[in-house]
Amino acid sequence: MPAIATTPTLKGVRLTRTYGDGAKRRAALQHVSLDLFPGQIALLMGPSGSGKSTLLAVLSGLLEPDEGQVLADDGGEMRDVWSMTPKQREAYRLRTTGFIFQGFNLFPAFTARQQLEIVLNWGGYARGGDARRQADDMLDRLGLSPNKHKKPAQLSGGEKQRVAIGRALVKNPSFVFADEPTSALDWENGQKVMELLRDGAHERGASILVVSHDHRLLPYVDVYYHLEDGLLEERPLTPPGH
Amino acid sequence: MSYALLTLWHERQRYVSGVFAVTFSAMLIALQCGLLLGLFKITSIPIDHATPWDRDRVIWVGSTGAPSVDLGKPIPVGFLTRLAGREGLSSPELYIANFGNFTKPVGGTELCFLLGTRLDDEALAPADVLTPELRAALSEPFTIVVDRSDIARLKLDSPEGKPKINGKEVRVVGVVTGLRSLAAPWVFCSTHTARQLMGPLLPADHTTYLLARADTPERARQIVADLRATYSEDMSAYVAEDFSYSSREYWLLRTKAGVAIGYAALLGLLVGAVITAQTLKTATEASAREFAILLALGIPRWRISLMVLQQSMWVAVIGMGLAYPVCLGLRQVALMGGADVDLRWEVLSGTAALTTLMCTGAGLWALRGVRQIEPMSLLR
Repeated sequence: MPAIATTPTLKGVRLTRTYGDGAKRRAALQHVSLDLFPGQIALLMGPSGSGKSTLLAVLSGLLEPDEGQVLADDGGEMRDVWSMTPKQREAYRLRTTGFIFQGFNLFPAFTARQQLEIVLNWGGYARGGDARRQADDMLDRLGLSPNKHKKPAQLSGGEKQRVAIGRALVKNPSFVFADEPTSALDWENGQKVMELLRDGAHERGASILVVSHDHRLLPYVDVYYHLEDGLLEERPLTPPGH
Repeated sequence: MSYALLTLWHERQRYVSGVFAVTFSAMLIALQCGLLLGLFKITSIPIDHATPWDRDRVIWVGSTGAPSVDLGKPIPVGFLTRLAGREGLSSPELYIANFGNFTKPVGGTELCFLLGTRLDDEALAPADVLTPELRAALSEPFTIVVDRSDIARLKLDSPEGKPKINGKEVRVVGVVTGLRSLAAPWVFCSTHTARQLMGPLLPADHTTYLLARADTPERARQIVADLRATYSEDMSAYVAEDFSYSSREYWLLRTKAGVAIGYAALLGLLVGAVITAQTLKTATEASAREFAILLALGIPRWRISLMVLQQSMWVAVIGMGLAYPVCLGLRQVALMGGADVDLRWEVLSGTAALTTLMCTGAGLWALRGVRQIEPMSLLR
């Protein structure tokens, strides 16, 4: 494993987030603090309803916390994501953030190449032939070159998730947030996905946060967090029972 | 290919109802307007069929307050001097156009419209469908020509009896085709015959119109402007094509037929708009998770809105692409049945503009679906 940088690029500071009112009020996050480092792949686990997805959403700039800060390295400067205006936050996500979700969410009408091209074109990263070349490069690295003209209906589950990973990585983000990226896949394809994400972190220097229930992912990550009842703790990378 | 078009093609079964709604709407608008214009062309037949190749050069002079060719009142023949001697203008000729009382050979009467003109080869006024043979026949006193479509209406197919106009016996020496009438059948004759038939209803030193041809369209407009400026108190002047337009517009507005067509077109637009809007909104909602991913990645929402609007434009283009050939086909069918559907470029481009506007409105309505998309929905 390559050396992890000592300065975090994403810091969650005393994050609190509650849902509901009155007697139904429930704390999903209670003063949670977390550092993510460049080149590091972190795993966030915990039982259902423990607040994993809430923490991912808060850290990624999708859900505002009730209290606390999310400080992110944006062009060498640590900025509080939740002090930005919505427009600034949208632009920040465009510059820095990639997402992978359990459900792939690929456009049924587009080929694998077009799924990546649309991000480059609409995000203003590249246009026309340049966008096509960059999309092809990424698909090549993911082993999807033979499938670049195929639409989602012609791809297997594993291939679809690799395309989704390509879509998240093609703009070379500083942070990648993956919510249950392997849960819709068999273990063989799940392993491939984790290898690709680990390579994405180590080779590209991205900070990757993976939310999952699956302990089999532990060998593929650099750090493991456990979240339960809104409280976060870092745990050793030894699978239970070892 | 654009992302909007790619999606449209892939999800064509979803979009087909919207496309057909636009097709239906465009057809309804184009055919209704075309039928109306075709119908009201009848009101300007005497102008449109008089030297049609020179409609931008022939000048019509008539009484004041005659917005339509069938509403001209007698004017003094002496007005000829107002036209005579003008540079680049031919010698003016008389045109008698008046309603008459047609008595059918078997009895009963019908209103008719007498069109009395010069009949020589140089004359401007006679209908272009009057062949040299018919013109020669019409040179005999009390002879007339009518349109084939009016033969039955005037009972001229009856072997018995003789027709009369204003109580004077006339003889039908031929028929023409394609000059259908609305209220009163057109009756073509010479100025001499017309004057005889009108009798005291048209004083001897009066006519209904004066016609003259300028050497250029520019000259025609200049002379008309000059005549209007000088003699507006007791006569009116038009270039033929403007008089034709004025005649049709007058009857279109007078009969309020435009209002009826407007309601029908509005109905078509409403049906098209509702179905297209619903189709686009449903399609947008079906792609909500894919759009949510793009929003999470920081793609601006306006990009997605633009794609939905592009889809609405494509629905408009494809819908109209289907509608226009069908309209042209139906026009041929209508022509075979004797009805003219005037699908001039103004009708087609106006329909295109209305349909595009409707689809833009539908697209804007469907954007409500885009505004409801939230990336957080992917994490719930």
